[in-house]
Amino acid sequence: MYSAILPNSWVVLKLPTGVTRTITISPNTTISLGKYGSFPANLLIGRPYYVTYEIQDKRPDEEFSRLRIVPTEELYAEIFADEAAPNCSTPAAEATDAVLSAKDGVEFSLVDAESGDVVTKSSREVIDENARQTLTQEEIEELKQKGNNAGKDVIAKLLLSHTAIDQKTSYSLAKYKLLKTKKYVRRFQIVPVDAPNLAHWQLEDREASKIMDMRAEMMALVGCWGNVHYGGEPVFLEDPKATTDQGEEACAPIQQDLLKGRWLVVDDTGGMLVAAMAERMGILYTQEEESDDSFREATVKEEEAVETQGEDVDTEMADGQETVAAKKTEDEGKPKNKNRPSDFAIPFSQTNTITVVHGASQPNLSFLNYWNFDATSPNHPPHPLLNHLLNLSWLQLVKPELDTSYSTPPLKATPEVLSSWKPTRRGNFHRKRRRYARIRFIVDSARAGGFSGLVCASTMDPVSILKHTLPLIDGGAPIAIYSPTLEPLAALADLFSVSRRTAWTSGSVPEIADKTAEELERWEGSEDFPLNPMLLLGTSIQTSRARRWQVLPGRTHPLMTERGGTDGYIFTAWKAKPADGRIAARGRFKRRKTEPDSSAMVEAVETPASS
Amino acid sequence: MTSTVPHQVSPFLDPGRRTKADSLAILQLSRDDFVPVYLQSTVGEHDGYAEGAVTNTRFGSFPHSTLLNVPWGSQIRASKVDTGSRGRKRKRGVTEEADGPSSEATENVVAEKEDGTANGTTKQAVADSSGFIHILPPTPEIWTTSLPHRTQVVYTPDYSYILQRIRARPGTTIIEAGAGSGSFTHASVRAVYNGYPGDGKRKGKVVSFEFNEERYHKMKKEILDHGLEGLVTLTHRDVYRDGFLLDGKSPEADAVFLDLPAPWEALPHLTRRGGKDGETERVSPLHPKKTVHICTFSPCIEQVTRTVSTLRHLGWVDIEMVEIAHRKLHTLRERVGLNLPVDRGVNNSPRDVEEALGRLAEIEERLRETIARPRTDGDDEDMEDEKPAVDAEKKMDAPELLKYMWQDGRLVTRMEPEIKSHTSYLVFAVLPVEWTAEDEAAALEKYPVGGEQKVVGQLDRKTRKEERRQLLEQQKANKSGGKRARRKARDERIAATSGDPA
Repeated sequence: MYSAILPNSWVVLKLPTGVTRTITISPNTTISLGKYGSFPANLLIGRPYYVTYEIQDKRPDEEFSRLRIVPTEELYAEIFADEAAPNCSTPAAEATDAVLSAKDGVEFSLVDAESGDVVTKSSREVIDENARQTLTQEEIEELKQKGNNAGKDVIAKLLLSHTAIDQKTSYSLAKYKLLKTKKYVRRFQIVPVDAPNLAHWQLEDREASKIMDMRAEMMALVGCWGNVHYGGEPVFLEDPKATTDQGEEACAPIQQDLLKGRWLVVDDTGGMLVAAMAERMGILYTQEEESDDSFREATVKEEEAVETQGEDVDTEMADGQETVAAKKTEDEGKPKNKNRPSDFAIPFSQTNTITVVHGASQPNLSFLNYWNFDATSPNHPPHPLLNHLLNLSWLQLVKPELDTSYSTPPLKATPEVLSSWKPTRRGNFHRKRRRYARIRFIVDSARAGGFSGLVCASTMDPVSILKHTLPLIDGGAPIAIYSPTLEPLAALADLFSVSRRTAWTSGSVPEIADKTAEELERWEGSEDFPLNPMLLLGTSIQTSRARRWQVLPGRTHPLMTERGGTDGYIFTAWKAKPADGRIAARGRFKRRKTEPDSSAMVEAVETPASS
Repeated sequence: MTSTVPHQVSPFLDPGRRTKADSLAILQLSRDDFVPVYLQSTVGEHDGYAEGAVTNTRFGSFPHSTLLNVPWGSQIRASKVDTGSRGRKRKRGVTEEADGPSSEATENVVAEKEDGTANGTTKQAVADSSGFIHILPPTPEIWTTSLPHRTQVVYTPDYSYILQRIRARPGTTIIEAGAGSGSFTHASVRAVYNGYPGDGKRKGKVVSFEFNEERYHKMKKEILDHGLEGLVTLTHRDVYRDGFLLDGKSPEADAVFLDLPAPWEALPHLTRRGGKDGETERVSPLHPKKTVHICTFSPCIEQVTRTVSTLRHLGWVDIEMVEIAHRKLHTLRERVGLNLPVDRGVNNSPRDVEEALGRLAEIEERLRETIARPRTDGDDEDMEDEKPAVDAEKKMDAPELLKYMWQDGRLVTRMEPEIKSHTSYLVFAVLPVEWTAEDEAAALEKYPVGGEQKVVGQLDRKTRKEERRQLLEQQKANKSGGKRARRKARDERIAATSGDPA
């Protein structure tokens, strides 16, 4: 992640109310936060993340508000004061209160264990119902209009003007003050847009259903159980140097042994899951922080932005197009290749890749826009996802022969014919050939299998997903399926139940009688056995939830309200490679020799890998 | 256990497609029963076994020759291994190792190091009639559940959340104090790994500290055996007293995980200014230009209160405490019904009101019949004759019975019998980059203010409308109307001019 706020980058802005918002920090603009005020964006560029900024009053000679970084001593001033006074009782707590203890049966009073002092008063002294704020709304508005020391004056005035402020317990006073602070203090915090922050914003402040209600806990668990991690240095296939009159025969063949660290993903969260995985694989951010000078970085970025704006003019029109692949090689720091790669050069890395299978004709990965990646852009500025993200439709994966762009052979033309064409037509010719080579590589490599894991967050039935993807997963590789609801996962887990497995191995499924293990791996399934129950090991369903606490001196407790909805569940397992032929289980309680048939039918016998 | 060759990628990070010799593999015996094994390729007799190195489990014996060079995830048959005579031989020959794997050994059997006495030929393993295991590549998740030495373990639900919150990503340098059992170490190595060091570039790494000497040595060996050297730097140290520097140099960490009894004693070392040792200026172990994320892991609320207070005084922000509640769910078939065979887990009571009504009506009818019938001596026999008839009617036929095993009954889920209701409290905090007046002046010079042209964010309606109008007008003026339209026009032109393709 970046250490400083970069120009033109997306950031998450946290307001005092806890509301978060995502904005782009464009140079030379004014950022308006509604009632909290506005300020020039340039005051944030190059500044650090996570500090709290305060919008100051306008100076008399200036048209804009400046920002101030609030030191932490100031943020925590009240807590420190509370800590200094160990019995945080109100001034109104009189001496008589001290004699009261829990034994007296007074309800609702909190007693300090050490001193026996009552920390809070009970509800005996009911605050006068007529007690109220004496400042009128107009007066408050007026105060807000005037320079008011970033809202702090308003809050102080409000507290002073409340008629029953001295009758409030320290708890209600703290609550009242917090309420008013949230409303009037003109402070905010800037946090970087990374997968957890963006998901949090989407979950709390936008539409949670768009990311399938995926909480941070579940996102983290899916990543770990899917064993998603950096999959090795990028490796590129050699350019087959295909000439323009060569067809599909010139495409570079898939090299199984080069394919490593690849994850298969089914993502119906609009790209949130892919972003979280890309983050874990180190391919989400455009530049890793190597440079020490964050300013220089920032300016370089700015210049780049200007350049890309220039490039926006469709360069494909010109003959000398810069292909995505060519840009990529530059990005990898290789010496600039004067000779453009041929049309059939594969721009994708063989390692550390994410393969997304999508149900529509185009993948929906719109959340990746927040990391300046646009999956549909034909002429993309350098981004690590460009050559590490492969997407294909279910049709291309399961029945590629029905897909036009895969099954239509590439255009061919001799150099003479080609040079006689207009530049636009020539450009189109190359573009189509490049697209053919890309799709062909993606489909063929995906169908070759050997994936290091399968990660899903999909609205589709997981059984049907596994039916087509399980044969593509490497032996021993993990499978992690997220679902906001439990039922689809329970139905899936049931397909791998002990009784199903015993029925399968004991030979009571006639359809599979003389099939080899290899045939059974790609078995299309039957009504009773939609999936081969031997293909997964250690199937398990789990859920996890983080409960947040308030930690304040003398007032530590779990938060009173939290987001409801669903907790989310994940199904995990490992892909197995069953041995050929029948294998009898061996029970713990049996002696060495077990009759295979009897053990197979008795459920009580402990079977290895029972799940 | 032979150490791995340097530069060989750890099996945790890239296990390859098949099992290899001298590398860690996990044998899965049953659902949650994992045995870590260092696979060995031996020639000739080994440790008394004619088959070479052998791992014994309660599901049979597995010579390593049957475990080597197979695809991961393979189901492996047990082999017929002579474990009985081997024990006797060993007793006769004087061996210093007293606790070799016995034939009944079940848990955590790790084949011993080759002692170099191998001679003769290795016996070919013969498949046994029953028993099997699966062989899996090691992952931090499996390793955590199969830890050979158990101190306090940071389990998957906790570490997954922690690593995400402290932003441990490829390239991060993470300080871990209290290496403990190593579960968090393995998980964090996977998170920060972006290649082994060597090509001059800064790589992600784990800087680990352990106070307990015995555990330190165990961990040290584990790191070596798992091929994690270069990625994990383990130091035996009291971090409360001596801090987190490596040879006086800053590890430049940007993430910190403290699994210590008193995190507040270590926190003063983790500031932007280094330790508070008055006379000598100490360097900070933190990265000067990066935001630092921290997590402390403490089981008691008192520890949390103190830690949080210290964090506040040291200038950390976004302090939050959470507790992770993790649940595993089991799925099962709930079988209720009168016509179901009597079996374990089957409730032979009526499935619904209709079934109950049916049975009750039947009983009533039989009762009426009995009353109506004149009393005879053979009454009891008659009753007995009738009963089986009713049962026969209810009984399932064979294929139905078979299906009943896995398909009948309602599919239900329930929580695992025992849950970990509290592991520890997790305190998270963030330390922003230090920002001085000079930094601010420099930034202000670089990005001067006052030239604002546009307002973004919350706009009033009028401004928004005005902006939209301008945009539309501009598009109209451009005539072509944006990139998409330009492209469409171009495609049309091409289609018109090119005719047939090539």
